[in-house]
Amino acid sequence: MSPHKPERLRMTGIPAGQKVRLALLGEAIDPFQREQLHAYGLTVSSHLQVLQQQPLTVVMCDQIELALEHAVAHELWVEAL
Amino acid sequence: MSSAALLSTTSTLALVGHPNVGKSVLFHRLTGTYVNVSNYPGTTVEVSRAATRFDREAALLDTPGVLSLPGRSDDERATMRALLREELRLVVQVGDAKNPRRTLTLTALLAELGVPMVLVLNMSDEAAARGVAVDHRALAESLEVPVIPTVATGGQGVHALVDALAEAAVPAPLLRYDVDTERVIAATASLIDEIAPHPRLASRGLAILYLGGDNEVEEWLAAKTGDAFARLEQVREASATIDGESLAVVLSRERGHAADALAASLSRQEAPTRRALAQRVGALAVHRLWGWPILLGVLYAMYAFVGVLGADVLVGVVEENLFGSALNPAITGFVHAHVGLPWLVDLLVGEYGLWTMGMTYALALIFPIVTTFFLAFGVLEDSGYFSRLSVVANRLFSALGLNGRAVLPMVLGLGCVTMATLTTRILHTRRERLITTFLLALAIPCSAQLGVVMGMLGGISFQAVLVWALAVTGVLLLTGWLAGRLIRGRRIPLVTELPPMRLPVFGNVLKKTAGRLKWYLVEVIPLFLIGTFLMFILDRVGALPWLIRAGEPLVSGWLGLPPEASAAFVMGFLRRDFGATGLFAIGAQLSPLQAVVGMTTLTLFVPCIASVMMIVKEQGLRTGLLMIALIMPTAFLVGGVLNHLLRLVW
Repeated sequence: MSPHKPERLRMTGIPAGQKVRLALLGEAIDPFQREQLHAYGLTVSSHLQVLQQQPLTVVMCDQIELALEHAVAHELWVEAL
Repeated sequence: MSSAALLSTTSTLALVGHPNVGKSVLFHRLTGTYVNVSNYPGTTVEVSRAATRFDREAALLDTPGVLSLPGRSDDERATMRALLREELRLVVQVGDAKNPRRTLTLTALLAELGVPMVLVLNMSDEAAARGVAVDHRALAESLEVPVIPTVATGGQGVHALVDALAEAAVPAPLLRYDVDTERVIAATASLIDEIAPHPRLASRGLAILYLGGDNEVEEWLAAKTGDAFARLEQVREASATIDGESLAVVLSRERGHAADALAASLSRQEAPTRRALAQRVGALAVHRLWGWPILLGVLYAMYAFVGVLGADVLVGVVEENLFGSALNPAITGFVHAHVGLPWLVDLLVGEYGLWTMGMTYALALIFPIVTTFFLAFGVLEDSGYFSRLSVVANRLFSALGLNGRAVLPMVLGLGCVTMATLTTRILHTRRERLITTFLLALAIPCSAQLGVVMGMLGGISFQAVLVWALAVTGVLLLTGWLAGRLIRGRRIPLVTELPPMRLPVFGNVLKKTAGRLKWYLVEVIPLFLIGTFLMFILDRVGALPWLIRAGEPLVSGWLGLPPEASAAFVMGFLRRDFGATGLFAIGAQLSPLQAVVGMTTLTLFVPCIASVMMIVKEQGLRTGLLMIALIMPTAFLVGGVLNHLLRLVW
């Protein structure tokens, strides 16, 4: 039996309170914003907690709260922890 | 050897680090010089310099926070410029102890630049409260530089930092990139070594920054290399992507991974406890439902403190009791008794007298208002609420082609438009800076003007304040919407940090208020006196009555104001708040409708001289003049339309 592979979901589809692992930064994120996300610590494999989804997506990353507009959060693919 | 002995033979040290990690607090601790300190990223947009307390021969630089290097915004470029062009002996990297990974990402780059440094892990108290523990001794061993935990606000660790400066060293490299990337870096570094070696910074670090697209490094290299710069460009163009991925992204991602690995091995996060009260309050401030009532509550509290306590109660006491009943009669009597020249008496205590108009406006009418405004503003700045406003206002700002980050300069503009224009440097694109600067110049009243508006219109009715606020906000949104469509370029979606909500430190709020009041007294009062003097001259030579007559079709015909209001617009050329105060002074002659129309027009009138100079400095002369050319007709157009519309319903 193959090991269970976690389902990848868009960050915008994750309910508040859920902890996730960042699996992929989508192609639609431009290089400038990709660098910005890396600088904030949003790199592949980083662990995040979704704090809220409206009006913006707010996540906790390394004890820092980050607000992400949905256009960006929609391009972040995550796996539930 | 003691640190003082080492440093006195050298020149300059620099504080470098991410935004909102406490660099400016540490700067104050180490130099005794106060620079503005607030709880939002982007408080410092220019490099500050002062002699250190521990060695008066050594200078310390406080640099704007860098989210990442290569820098992208103008404030980040200012930091890179300091690294490139200052004779730096060493760098003190200030990091957030709560977030060692992010701190080490910057350390990784500073290590590549080969600068001797000391690493400060600030806000250790907040880290401990959140269960984050960093083994700073092991980290120091790993990096081969001193690592000092501090709580700059309380002064803990500052002596240890001063002692550690003598031990500053170039950090051990944190990473090697993959083979292909290393090959490109080596080729570029070798070329820099050959054609433009930097006197202090390592060519490898400069190569990484240049390949990552750092504009400041690129400009420095272009200036140093002349025609040979084309060789560097060729190398970068030939290696713009590695395996289909942008080289800049590869470089920043790899540094992130290296920092992540080191942070994971030397720090630990204890099991999360329940969310602190500050976190819960912060979450409510950006809540989809609760965010708006909280915003309205904050605005109402501001109105009550500034508009009622400042503009009504305090101005009443100072203007009527102190100036009206005591000071002005005494000074007028003294001048009449001791000055023989009638024109001089008139200049000092006449209708356009330096004391009776200039000083009375500045000290009796505006000073109490700006004092209360600066106090309230300081509390909000230090609470961390302003950053949360960027989340609440993001949707609104997206209609203007901006993102919520632009709310910070806008809100700061309510304090001083000149300083806010400088703060537009925190925005990432020229387009964002241009639109925000224009909106600041057009439709954001500064504290003094806002206070006069609240004092005058608040005294009429809440409805009057509301009509003014709606008119100005409407113009802001409409012109912003138009600018967003006319100025080419794409909108950048919001990604921003929300700093922790904190209870403001009363001493810091008082220091900031005192600094701002000093600015007000030094900058504004001389302009009020110059303005009064010009009004006096215009009156004496008969030009003021002529101007009033000449302006009558516009002021009385189109705006529906009494002819005397022309004088307020003449005063408004110098400062909008001076003009607004002129209107305030003839308030008894105005109907509620005229007061609203007059104040709305003056709110949208040309910004003050200092603001115009700042716009020219930041955007260039041509753009500055174009903005003025657009703003003046807009102000009169809106005022006139408002006058005619209100006459239909009021």
